[in-house]
Amino acid sequence: MKCVIGGTHLRVFGRAVHAMARVSDEFCFDPIDKGLALRSVNSSRSAYAYVFFSSMFFQHYCCTAAPQPCQKERQLSLACKLIIKSVLPIFRCVNMLERHVEKCNIYTNAKDHHITFQLLCRNGIVKTHNLAFQECDPLQAVFAKHLCPNVLRAHSRLLADIMVHFPTSQEEVTLSVTPTRVCFKSYTEENTDFPKTMVTEIQLNPDEFDFFQVGVDSEVTFCLRELRGLLAFSEATSVSVSIHFDTPGKPVAFSIEDVVLEASFILATLSDSRSEMASQEPACFSQMQESSKTCTDKSIDKDGGAEAAASKKPRWNRQAQNTVSGAPASPLAKQVRSVPTVSYRDTAGTGGTAATKADDRAVLEAESPYHKFHSLFFGAVSFKEDATSHTFHSLATASDTEEDFGKTQSSQVL
Amino acid sequence: MRFRAKIVDLACLNHFSRVINTIAKLAKTCTLRLTVNKLYFILSDRVANGGVSMWCELCQGNFFDEFQMEGVAADHNEIYLELMPENLSRALKTAQNAKAVKIKLTNKHSPCLKVAVELPSLSSSSRIVTHDIPVRVIPRRLWNDFREPVVPDFDVSIYLPVLKTMKSIVERMKNLSNYIVIEANLSGEMNLKIETDVVSVTTHFKDLGNPPWASEDGCQSSAQGRDLQSMAEVRIDIKKLQQLLVGQQVNPTKALCNIHRIAKSLRVGRDL
Repeated sequence: MKCVIGGTHLRVFGRAVHAMARVSDEFCFDPIDKGLALRSVNSSRSAYAYVFFSSMFFQHYCCTAAPQPCQKERQLSLACKLIIKSVLPIFRCVNMLERHVEKCNIYTNAKDHHITFQLLCRNGIVKTHNLAFQECDPLQAVFAKHLCPNVLRAHSRLLADIMVHFPTSQEEVTLSVTPTRVCFKSYTEENTDFPKTMVTEIQLNPDEFDFFQVGVDSEVTFCLRELRGLLAFSEATSVSVSIHFDTPGKPVAFSIEDVVLEASFILATLSDSRSEMASQEPACFSQMQESSKTCTDKSIDKDGGAEAAASKKPRWNRQAQNTVSGAPASPLAKQVRSVPTVSYRDTAGTGGTAATKADDRAVLEAESPYHKFHSLFFGAVSFKEDATSHTFHSLATASDTEEDFGKTQSSQVL
Repeated sequence: MRFRAKIVDLACLNHFSRVINTIAKLAKTCTLRLTVNKLYFILSDRVANGGVSMWCELCQGNFFDEFQMEGVAADHNEIYLELMPENLSRALKTAQNAKAVKIKLTNKHSPCLKVAVELPSLSSSSRIVTHDIPVRVIPRRLWNDFREPVVPDFDVSIYLPVLKTMKSIVERMKNLSNYIVIEANLSGEMNLKIETDVVSVTTHFKDLGNPPWASEDGCQSSAQGRDLQSMAEVRIDIKKLQQLLVGQQVNPTKALCNIHRIAKSLRVGRDL
């Protein structure tokens, strides 16, 4: 893969990298035919960030790699997993980038797994950064945006003006909408009898939004920290931000779209059940398999308790896939060429079948009875895009941090 | 117990915010005392050694367009609340171009000071930002703890030099020593001194002026007989002094310092 980013677009690209940094410690550089995609997932699988730069964004873009004689023929370049900490310094002072750097060349060397960022600066200075990458199968959250009953769209400036009222330490925020009113409120898990922290609430008129559609009155709570990354990024592009969401528990998607780029941040939301949050176990692949076979329970919150308890420590680890064997329909074992998943819950009865059928599906199941969060469902990006986007699964996942969020299962099956 | 107040003037709001910011820098928690005409921010630190106590008195008419207060009882028409000034400071921070700011004492689940900021917006109706600041109501039996500190029988009272200058000097001295000696006399001279094994540094200020104090029952009468040149000095923790100076965001018309040699106390008072 080789691409060249012109000076003026460097700022946008830099901001995208910074936005990724807010989500996770590593991200995936995924060159595809039409452009370059950056993807990132957080450790508790409750936030997914995706930025796509079309080939028009670049001064030059080429993603085919010559097939190596000893390897199978490859049409496309590898997807590279990079550590954010190594890439961030390259785009550190985003505002200065524009002024000092004329262009940035990025190219990958598949053979020795290196990616090179070369900044051509003023006065003939060339800064070259060579980073090692790990091959990865990029994840893609499947989220049927068009099925969301609630859609808001506003300029990023409006959202930034709203978020400025919350302290930077504010972790979670609740967005509640009715047809006549929009309200952002800080969320706290404290016992309301003796609150110690300040609660901030902002009420807006639907008029302030460029587009306002509320199909169902709803209150969704999501993590603000990850969102701030997107807001900073969208300010650089000055494109409107769209918010798609549904009932509590279902994810919320913040997206921007432009001629040359598009970005989506899909965040899990707090589901309705107000049970106590006990420490949750991280999502586990193996659990998924077990529960996939046995789960018939509709309520995500209740099921999987026993299995969850029995499950081993979860780890989302590609390499571990091979060790996760045994279970017949282990979607995990089959990596990669998977297609976006299908709702687990609705086909609960045929859970086992679904799993077997979808060899290539990766499913994460909710496991603990405690958590009310479910993680996003991820499928690996395949070459052939599955045209029908199915329902989306909620992956339950527990994380061991206090703000765990997860997406609940979606209830629709297409 | 009821309290509601409203600020509509931006300059007043700005001034009030700056006072709150100053207080927020000095103390994590403080007491807000509300009376019919005044607001007081009080911090009484009982630490005997080098503790900081603060008494800030504001005339409500200078800031608020509306101010209504009903105290705990008819004969004790006051309200004492404990709160974190940082919260109030944060609530007012983003209100700097507000149309109006309303403050109200509420008790929905627990006592809160509700700050409602009405901000201008592009649409027809304004944006309303509400901050609920948790407070604790201080019962009447503890009110004695927050009495106004009596002006002690000081030896010297002097106006301070420009606070910014003093702040930068104290900041540099902080790197050299933990204690600073402040001495002043009734001729408008003041010295800031530090002394360590390796170095001693003194900064001299002249012509600062001494505030006139009306003599009250002879407690200041000793001052009249005192030598105008003799210095009264105190040694205080330099970090505490710097904390006080750093927090100053409001330019006072007057800042004065009273030194009580025997009690070794230093009192800095400012008209806001």
